[in-house]
Amino acid sequence: MIHLAKNQTKLMIAVHGWSGILLGLLLYAVVITGMAAVFADEIGAWSAGHVETRSAFERPFGTALRALGERTSPKYHDGVDLFEVGDHDLGVFFHRHETDAGGTLISRGMFYELGKDGRVIHTQAGTNEDVYGARNDNALSSFLVDTHVRLHVPNPWGLLLTGILGLGMLVAAISGLLIHRHLFKDIFTLRRKAKPVLLNRDRHSVAGTWSLPFAFILAFTGSFFSFYGTVGMPIVAMAAFGGDMQAMTEEVFGNPGKPDPRPTAIGNIDRITSDAIRRAGTPPTFVTIEHFGRVDAKVTTYHAPPGGDIAPVSLLYNGATARFEQTKPLIGKAPSAGGTLVAIMSPLHFGNFAGLLSKAIWFGLGFAMCYVTFTGLRLWLVRREEAMRSLDWLDRTVTVVGLGLPFALVCAAAAFLIAMPLGTAVTCTTGGFLIASAAVIVAGVVWPTAAGLGHAVQRATGIAMLLLPPLRLLTGGPGWAAAIMAEQPIIVALDIALLVAGGAMIWRGRRLQAPR
Amino acid sequence: MSLLIIATVALSGGLLLLLALGDPKRRRTAAVKSGAQGTAVRRLLVGASLLPGAAWIASGDAAAFLIWFGGCAMAGWLVTLVLARGWLDARQGAKDAS
Repeated sequence: MIHLAKNQTKLMIAVHGWSGILLGLLLYAVVITGMAAVFADEIGAWSAGHVETRSAFERPFGTALRALGERTSPKYHDGVDLFEVGDHDLGVFFHRHETDAGGTLISRGMFYELGKDGRVIHTQAGTNEDVYGARNDNALSSFLVDTHVRLHVPNPWGLLLTGILGLGMLVAAISGLLIHRHLFKDIFTLRRKAKPVLLNRDRHSVAGTWSLPFAFILAFTGSFFSFYGTVGMPIVAMAAFGGDMQAMTEEVFGNPGKPDPRPTAIGNIDRITSDAIRRAGTPPTFVTIEHFGRVDAKVTTYHAPPGGDIAPVSLLYNGATARFEQTKPLIGKAPSAGGTLVAIMSPLHFGNFAGLLSKAIWFGLGFAMCYVTFTGLRLWLVRREEAMRSLDWLDRTVTVVGLGLPFALVCAAAAFLIAMPLGTAVTCTTGGFLIASAAVIVAGVVWPTAAGLGHAVQRATGIAMLLLPPLRLLTGGPGWAAAIMAEQPIIVALDIALLVAGGAMIWRGRRLQAPR
Repeated sequence: MSLLIIATVALSGGLLLLLALGDPKRRRTAAVKSGAQGTAVRRLLVGASLLPGAAWIASGDAAAFLIWFGGCAMAGWLVTLVLARGWLDARQGAKDAS
């Protein structure tokens, strides 16, 4: 392995330890919510009881789209976003691009939700933040994603914070690689009956070694996403477009060409989606229309990666004639290495390139990252236990965050299930999380020992997990038979996963000794 | 295709289990004196466990390769956790003692 001089090794150990202890707790929050967010779509379907499996893009909606175009002010015809909302309903967002007071590029316009029969079931005027923000039926998955992406800190600071945490994870992974002199020799060595320092060291290093390549991948791609929009794109806009973000966005991601503002009806969008499904092999996940109702209208359909590939597919159509034009690179007009690299960042980070199988593996890797972070914090504390009794507050903090966060997330899910039928899920999900967090923090202060606190929180988490499936049924969620009949087995699978995980937590909580 | 990917993860996972069972340091720390594999055997097992990944690279299936790679990481960690419970080593340790 890599052999460093003694003083360099000491320096690396210090870098590894302090980067972990300073950023570890926040990083843990980001990683654990990211682990759950891998299954955000599935959690959304489970929590809201969505049983429809047919994509909204597999249903005809061209006539409804034309009608919406006629009733929407032409000032919002710059662009139209089409995406799925709710239980495979279709969201249609007519908008124009604006720059807000803070210089951020936003979209403003009219949002419509089309039901399965093509009728408008919801109308809303607003910006992209309003349209893509949390809704009553996706408040839980949205809460998880928002915590992972920006820890609920307003942008751009939230993104910058998670970007720095990602870099911290990268530093910890590299320094961990450098200080571990017997990386492969120790890869199967886990001494369960050893002294606390050795036990925690083995737990940390074994999980860290096995998941090391993915620690690099997840940390790098996570940082990339955080800095891409907040730092990277503004720098490119300043350097090459005189600071004009809209011009840069149109040039880099749009379909620049000679403008032709002559009015004409939008082409047959149903033919476009049918053709796109045939070419890509899957329904689109998102569709954009530029210059709706003009001769130079362009339609871009975005699809999940095809079998065997990890790069998503985008197809470009002439919006006026519905004719296929080209497979569109994510960046620019022609395929490029940079464009491909940017395109694979999302699948590499979220593991959503091959359905449930890749997501399950990425969930496991996320769990390993949580375990590595938590055991790393424990190891740092255990190593200083004899010399620094005054670190009891940090020991309790690690227990409160490490074990209290999963408990608070499960309580947020319970709050969502109760509040969704009442239409107050957006506030109640966050409320449930905050109340549960406050309860664990208070327990962290008053509980006699950190070990006892950990024991109690684990059991409470297990009990809460066991209660979620019956609570889902009691609040009107579909039963197992109904879910299977509707070909939505994910609801049953998540129920079983919660029951098994809850049982395991209680069993583990019972035999838990001081985790050190 | 998913079944084939799972099969390759299982194959590599099985070979990792064999590798872990004969791992000299693991056996030493578990107080099992015999049964440690030699270097040649271990290299052969490592090579064999990597073969499915090489096959996925050769076939150009990036998605399958990543799933296999991630699956092996999880399998390796799981094997280490399970063997650390000492069930298999206890039996071997008793044999050694007798």
